[in-house]
Amino acid sequence: MFRILKKSLQTGVVTGQHPAGGAPSEPVSQDAIEKAKPFRRSMTIREVDTGSCNACEMEMNALANPVYDVERFGVHIAASPRHADALVVTGPVTVNMERALKDVYKATPDPKIVIAVGDCAVTCGMFKGSYAVTGPVDRHIPVDVRIPGCPPRPAEILAVLAKLRQDDPDADT
Amino acid sequence: MIDARPAVEQVQAAFTQAITEVCAVHGVPMLRVKKQDLPTIAHFLHTNPGLRGSLSLLWAVDHRPREARYELCYLFTLAERKDWLLLATDLYGDEREFPSITPHLHAAKWYEREIRDLFGLIPVGHPDLRRLVRHEHWPKGSHPLKKDFPWDRVLGRVQGEYAFRKIHGEGVFEVPVGPIHAGIIEPGHFRFSVAGEPIMQLEVRHFWTHRGVEKLFEQQRLTEAVPLSERVSGDTSVGHSLAYCQAVETLQGVEVSPRARYLRTLFLELERLHNHIGDVGAICNDTAYALAHAHCGRMKEQLMQLNDRLTGSRFLRGVNCVGGVALDLSGLQLAQVEVELNTLEQDFSAIEKIVFANASLTERLENTGILTEGIAWDHAVIGVVGRASGIDRDLRRDRPFAAYDVLQPKVALYRYGDVRARMRVRLDEIHESIRLIREVRRGLPLGRLVTRPMHEAQSGVWALSAVEGWRGEILYVVMVGEAGRIHRCKVRDPSFVNWPAIQWAALGNIVPDFPLINKSFNLSYAGNDL
Repeated sequence: MFRILKKSLQTGVVTGQHPAGGAPSEPVSQDAIEKAKPFRRSMTIREVDTGSCNACEMEMNALANPVYDVERFGVHIAASPRHADALVVTGPVTVNMERALKDVYKATPDPKIVIAVGDCAVTCGMFKGSYAVTGPVDRHIPVDVRIPGCPPRPAEILAVLAKLRQDDPDADT
Repeated sequence: MIDARPAVEQVQAAFTQAITEVCAVHGVPMLRVKKQDLPTIAHFLHTNPGLRGSLSLLWAVDHRPREARYELCYLFTLAERKDWLLLATDLYGDEREFPSITPHLHAAKWYEREIRDLFGLIPVGHPDLRRLVRHEHWPKGSHPLKKDFPWDRVLGRVQGEYAFRKIHGEGVFEVPVGPIHAGIIEPGHFRFSVAGEPIMQLEVRHFWTHRGVEKLFEQQRLTEAVPLSERVSGDTSVGHSLAYCQAVETLQGVEVSPRARYLRTLFLELERLHNHIGDVGAICNDTAYALAHAHCGRMKEQLMQLNDRLTGSRFLRGVNCVGGVALDLSGLQLAQVEVELNTLEQDFSAIEKIVFANASLTERLENTGILTEGIAWDHAVIGVVGRASGIDRDLRRDRPFAAYDVLQPKVALYRYGDVRARMRVRLDEIHESIRLIREVRRGLPLGRLVTRPMHEAQSGVWALSAVEGWRGEILYVVMVGEAGRIHRCKVRDPSFVNWPAIQWAALGNIVPDFPLINKSFNLSYAGNDL
């Protein structure tokens, strides 16, 4: 117990110790901000990988680590699309994942927004044209927000999420 | 009595009639054999006590348009000699059948199913010919790696359903999981048959993220495919790009400079480090020990930020290029790396003590998900998972690449094969990686970063390359086509070998322990599905 407390005291608070994300490389549209209005104070995300190389997953996971601690902004990660306000989709949409993506979209209750994370989800990236790829994501489901990058840094994803919260009168940023 | 003659001679002596050609491909001995004799020769290599061959790779090549021939190549790692041996056989003209070696070697099971799906060649005698890569909605007769299959043709969907193996009986029911999982992880399907809580059978149904990577390689030029190799499995960007670059360098006769070799070692170890630390945290998290997860997440993030500062990429992308490395590190940067890793090692050691002082955590790890040495050997399991089950293999020691011939890593080895052993292998390797990075800094020679090719890569020639990534052995076979293009690129992530083994490790465990077992394997779905 003493060891654990000592470690925690030595470590201190690491939240926010990361380089700034900068302005989103693809502007967040006013429509998307409007659509995300119900989720300004609390947004539950369901992440769907439709064929990514897993780098985007690693960065989405990083959002939950103590450095980025996305929960402090009221953003939660849900285990099921039925609990989600937002779908985060990564990957170029493979032939084998196409149906699962559509099912997940249907299973997510309205109102909802869809965020495409990474070059693959936005344009199919390197996998464009392949016999096994039918994306990008917006060919199959409507996409509201796009976060390009291969993969986008967690700080960049945070910056976009902050943008979606920007009209919150109580927001501290 | 153990026969001391070279493996090739032994096989030649035992199978005089079967062998049609003996040669070597870039130093790897190769025997061309008649296809009907393949199973017996494979069995001989596998069971002979002086050779103890395990199947490391099986791949096919469509030689059209040059000639109407399919070639099948079997790479064996001879455990007793720490050496490689290749078997090859040909199918000419309209021949589509070859004898399956799976009845003798479990390890061939997925390879042969994969070849059937992607090339339409039929492994006769294979006990399980269900589809693997092409899910049931792919039309019949579509085999994407055949040369007459256009790389960009998306096919229509047909009806069809995968036939999972069923267990019938009172109280037995099935638990389907996936392809979309509860956490932020890649898609894959697990089908459990359970009676109460214990798992009676687990069947893995993967290949949801099949993106056609190998076909995409064939659209690229030899020197321009490095970015694609970095995106085979994102968390192994350095491992995959290094394996690819080494293959191309062999083809071009490039001798990489010592400085580039040392830097490659440094980047590969940095990649191992951040992944292993992340895994240790994730294993703790799956026992609901959030404290260790938080600390490990913080340290992993620290390493990824370090990667970013050094190379401009958190995943160390863009560091490897054909002929060497694309960027240099200054003495100051290296000093900073060492300072940062020194503090990190202390930091991490403190967490290690906290973790192993926690009995309720270690209790979950011990005896969970045991993969015995026998099963690991049968399935040719490699990497972290193999070393936790007593499979003493590490390419950094056995077939040194980059600067490992000089630096000589110590190989972590445990025998018990449970989650704890897999965690222990990672802990040992974390300390070893930090030590290796210190050695790199101490011994980093001066010299150029990129070496120009000696000659153009010759069309029709191929090369094999192996790298011990953080998960295990990454193998690449690159074959040159016309005008500097790639004719064939076989990619083998260690996940492809280790996934079938998880089906055995899970047996008898309770369903709630499966996430923990899965995490302790931590295999790539993208690298497996390609």
